Amino acid sequence: MATQLIDAGEAVDFSSLSSVPGKAPDVASGVTYERILNARSEPHNWLTYYGAYDGKRYSPLNQINKGNVSKLRPAWIFQPGAAMGIIPGLGTYAFEASPLVVDGVMFVSGWDGYVWALDARTGQELWRYKHEAPFDVSLCCGNVNRGVAVADGKVFVVTLNGRILALDATTGKVVWNRVYCDVRAGESATVAPLVVKNLVIVGSSGGEFGVRGHADAFDLKTGEHAWRCYMVPKPGEPGSETWPADGEAWARGGANPWTTPTFDPELNLLYFNTGNPCPDFDGDVRPGDNLYTDSVVAVDPDTGQIKNHYQYTPHDIWDYDSTMENILFEMDGRKCSGHFDKNGYFFVLDRTDCSLIRVAPFVDRITWGEIDEKGNVTVRVGPTKEGEPVHFFPGPAGAKEWTHAAYNPDTGLFYVPVQDIGATATLRRRMFKESIPYWGAAVAVDTTDYAGSISAFDPKTGKETWRFRRDVPMCSSVLTTAGDLVFAGEPDGMFDALDARSGELLWQFQCGNGHHSSPSSYSVDGQQYIAVPTGWGGWVEGFLPGRLGNPHGAALIAFALPD
Amino acid sequence: MPAAQMGAFPVSEIPGIDKQNAATLGRLLGTGRAAYAEAYADGRMRATVRIPVDELTFDPRVLIMPHGGELELELINEDDNTHVVLLPSNGDRKFIGLVNHSRGRARIELDGPGHYFYYGPFGNDEGRGLVGVILVQGETPPEARLDRPPQPRP
Repeated sequence: MATQLIDAGEAVDFSSLSSVPGKAPDVASGVTYERILNARSEPHNWLTYYGAYDGKRYSPLNQINKGNVSKLRPAWIFQPGAAMGIIPGLGTYAFEASPLVVDGVMFVSGWDGYVWALDARTGQELWRYKHEAPFDVSLCCGNVNRGVAVADGKVFVVTLNGRILALDATTGKVVWNRVYCDVRAGESATVAPLVVKNLVIVGSSGGEFGVRGHADAFDLKTGEHAWRCYMVPKPGEPGSETWPADGEAWARGGANPWTTPTFDPELNLLYFNTGNPCPDFDGDVRPGDNLYTDSVVAVDPDTGQIKNHYQYTPHDIWDYDSTMENILFEMDGRKCSGHFDKNGYFFVLDRTDCSLIRVAPFVDRITWGEIDEKGNVTVRVGPTKEGEPVHFFPGPAGAKEWTHAAYNPDTGLFYVPVQDIGATATLRRRMFKESIPYWGAAVAVDTTDYAGSISAFDPKTGKETWRFRRDVPMCSSVLTTAGDLVFAGEPDGMFDALDARSGELLWQFQCGNGHHSSPSSYSVDGQQYIAVPTGWGGWVEGFLPGRLGNPHGAALIAFALPD
Repeated sequence: MPAAQMGAFPVSEIPGIDKQNAATLGRLLGTGRAAYAEAYADGRMRATVRIPVDELTFDPRVLIMPHGGELELELINEDDNTHVVLLPSNGDRKFIGLVNHSRGRARIELDGPGHYFYYGPFGNDEGRGLVGVILVQGETPPEARLDRPPQPRP
């Protein structure tokens, strides 16, 4: 006899089983390109990924300052829950984003396709969006996302499976959705988009899978694809002479621009930062300098055309992505950019033509090679013989990872999270197969004998002016403020406030898990906050395997002074 | 020593892995049946998934969507126990409670290609075997493909 089935109804949105209202105030309709151009004129907001187009990660707010930072305490904590996912990987379910704030509403992305709008004063969740990523999408470094962009009433975010979404900033509902990465090739997307003029600009990930890196631009309103800029030229294109004339090394060349560019509106140039060549460690497959891998690439935002470049590590065989930001600043009347590269060198360029002004080491141990003051590279060691292990400093995580430095115009100093950690690579040639990792080596990052610091550097001399030493590499972005402060998180959970002029430790708070993200600062109703996303995820086995077992966690903590 | 000499054999031949409380406590992932979703003319798809009696599994275990898009699911709990199901879907996950002998519906949207897990997160039913897979076939859309010659695949 057939059993009568009870009607269970229709499945509901999971967030309906929560206190999330599903609605945020309309603060984003009025966010325009002009407002982002003048982002620092509204210091209560953090309108774009780096705080402003120049990449300085500097807040003009000074309510929290050297005199009172010792009183800083948590105002609220947002802990959405790292679980509810099946990926057991160690590098997953952690914040890597920089929170944006617009007139009291915080927009932040998380792991596994999540985007949240929060009340920036209370931390209450206003809406959430989740884009599902296939379990089997190729990811070198965790199911992470570095942040969103906000403009024109929309929140822009990329998805792990290579899409760019525009979400209604009041509800989190999709306005438009475009695919721009080839997941069958091993591409993915983790970058925080950048809004410039009428476009939202993104870059591809997948540099460990033998793809051909590219940046793309889409119309803000319609999502229409405006341009694509490949970072590895085809045969016959400028720069193609730096790749073998025969074979397909260029087609698998890498150079993925997986971090957010900076932008100079006067020169009308985007400064992209490109990743490693592929295979990462097997240079014999790709003789030549391999442009535009490991480079700053200046691109016209209206056309996507490459205008200038500077290559930080020609013919890289150490996995020295140059995806570290190019911070734009002025020095002696000159338009400059500052870049702290994985290879251990601090570069100051004239950003009008990407010519070199100064280069100097910024980490204690550099053994892969040497760059002289004119920028000439001399290679010392590298994995060049099949089966022969080679140890070198810095390791593939670099003397500085993607996590960002900061520049304080009040002090004229750069503040850098430094990693002093080596690795051993053994050349192991392999065949290329689409979507399979294509490193060309066995790699083991050191689990002992490492150190780190937050260091201040003077771009006029290239010299270190102070150092806040740590026993472990520092792996999180730095924030600096007009309160003469430098903020940075540590792998063992501490969040530090330092005197921007001396490096003296003024305050610390144990956040419960390591930091690998980008704090920002904002104010609401006259109260300044420091927003600190935490979570020990991403490629921990690459940048600090000696702390792979640290508490994982994933919380966003907003600190403020007592009332 | 090569696997063949160690006596390795297909997972499917482990006695009892497709049963509860036999080879191990639960039912191993990778067992069960597969089926294709039916496609409507407008590109939407539909399928029925059951939870049979005392098996703590979804049937079919693997549901195949020929391409990404919208899927209408009919979920039938034939079991003598209550279950819940949490499904992946772009925008927000979908949740449904299925009391004993009940039928419900879900509309989900997924991109392709790729595969997604879904499960019954109640009383560790998922650990016992109540984990399903939605496998979305297809190629990368043309507008996202890399401009390079076709490449060798594994």
